[in-house]
Amino acid sequence: MIWLHLLHQAFFGAVAAAGFGVLFNFGPRALLGCAAAGALALAVRTLGQDAGWSLELASFAAAVATGFAMRLLREPLGPAGNAMALAGCIPMVPGAFFGQAILGMFAVTGPHPENADATVLLAMESMMRVIFTLAAIGAGLAIPSYLLRTRDF
Amino acid sequence: MTTQPDPVRLKHRHLEQIAMTALRAARLLTECGARVRVAHEGAALIVRGLGAECLGLRTGYGSQEITVSSGVNTITRMMTVGPHGVNHRLDHALRAMAARVAKGGMSVEDTEREMDRLITETPRHSPFVVALAVGVACAAFGRLLGVDWQAFGAVLLAGAVGQYVRHLLLRRGLNSYVVAAAIAFLAAFLGGFGARLAGSGTINLAMMASILLLVPGVPATNAQTDIMDGFPTMGSARAVAVIMVMVFATTGVWLAEIMLGVR
Repeated sequence: MIWLHLLHQAFFGAVAAAGFGVLFNFGPRALLGCAAAGALALAVRTLGQDAGWSLELASFAAAVATGFAMRLLREPLGPAGNAMALAGCIPMVPGAFFGQAILGMFAVTGPHPENADATVLLAMESMMRVIFTLAAIGAGLAIPSYLLRTRDF
Repeated sequence: MTTQPDPVRLKHRHLEQIAMTALRAARLLTECGARVRVAHEGAALIVRGLGAECLGLRTGYGSQEITVSSGVNTITRMMTVGPHGVNHRLDHALRAMAARVAKGGMSVEDTEREMDRLITETPRHSPFVVALAVGVACAAFGRLLGVDWQAFGAVLLAGAVGQYVRHLLLRRGLNSYVVAAAIAFLAAFLGGFGARLAGSGTINLAMMASILLLVPGVPATNAQTDIMDGFPTMGSARAVAVIMVMVFATTGVWLAEIMLGVR
């Protein structure tokens, strides 16, 4: 069952990354790289979360793993590896949490808010998750590229 | 009175051409979603390849400046940066061109012609293919968020329609934040309505998944990298732009929730 869940997440991570790769105008070959990066990122994140890690820590580990993998595959992938790693991590961007945070704030500022305390708490939690997860993805992608910096442009 | 041309003024005219060509490359790289460091490296390679020295570059969200020199002559020029997007193939084609110019043997005119060629000839996916791919990506994103299978098709359709309409609106030059709000409303409404018709139990999530095409993931990570690279002004500007897009997009979802009576 755990493996099925892992496969599910990796598959849809690959599909989402390749879909966004088309939006970012990657070429057909590079789209395969985006899909592989997306599958790896979501697999690592899912394994981390299944092991009891927070979303932020699991996202960081996934971004680091994807960044290193794309760096180590620099020979066949060329300098586009960094961009593929980034596209692979796009499905982990917590856009839905940001929406929940803003909608929560809208709800609290209404004329007669219900459960205002709980709503504010939930909105703040969602906002903090957005900030920390985005920071985790950004840092996780940046660290391999700084550690394994190459001279090619 | 001498009739010979002023050598200093000639040198300045030539330097100006080099500066403007390098600035154009930096502008195109920035508009393609490249980080500031990449845009600066590209411009510096072109300046060096054209026989001058790059003394400094400044990149803001809306404009870029460059100072180039040759001997005792120095010139500073500025250029406006257009809408920020992501175009991976053009980005890498421009980088390869900058590396070729740096090797020498290309003139300002050759470089300008090469940039014109890259802009017109670098392949792009058709808007229909992009819309379909984005729809599939939103639906896949939805599955990762926990959207049930009943809502899958609705999210796919909403994402695809949203992306195609966004393409049409942006092509007409509409403000990108207004477009974000309008597309969020359209996609969330279609996704939510379709999910309800299909008997989904995750209508809220389906509405959120339908607007994920608007999440500016590349600028969000570029913002951090720019700050880490030593360009906090541009990094902060990108972060503010990301927040603005998301606030406008959420406003669209909020309106769609009101229309559908979803809480």
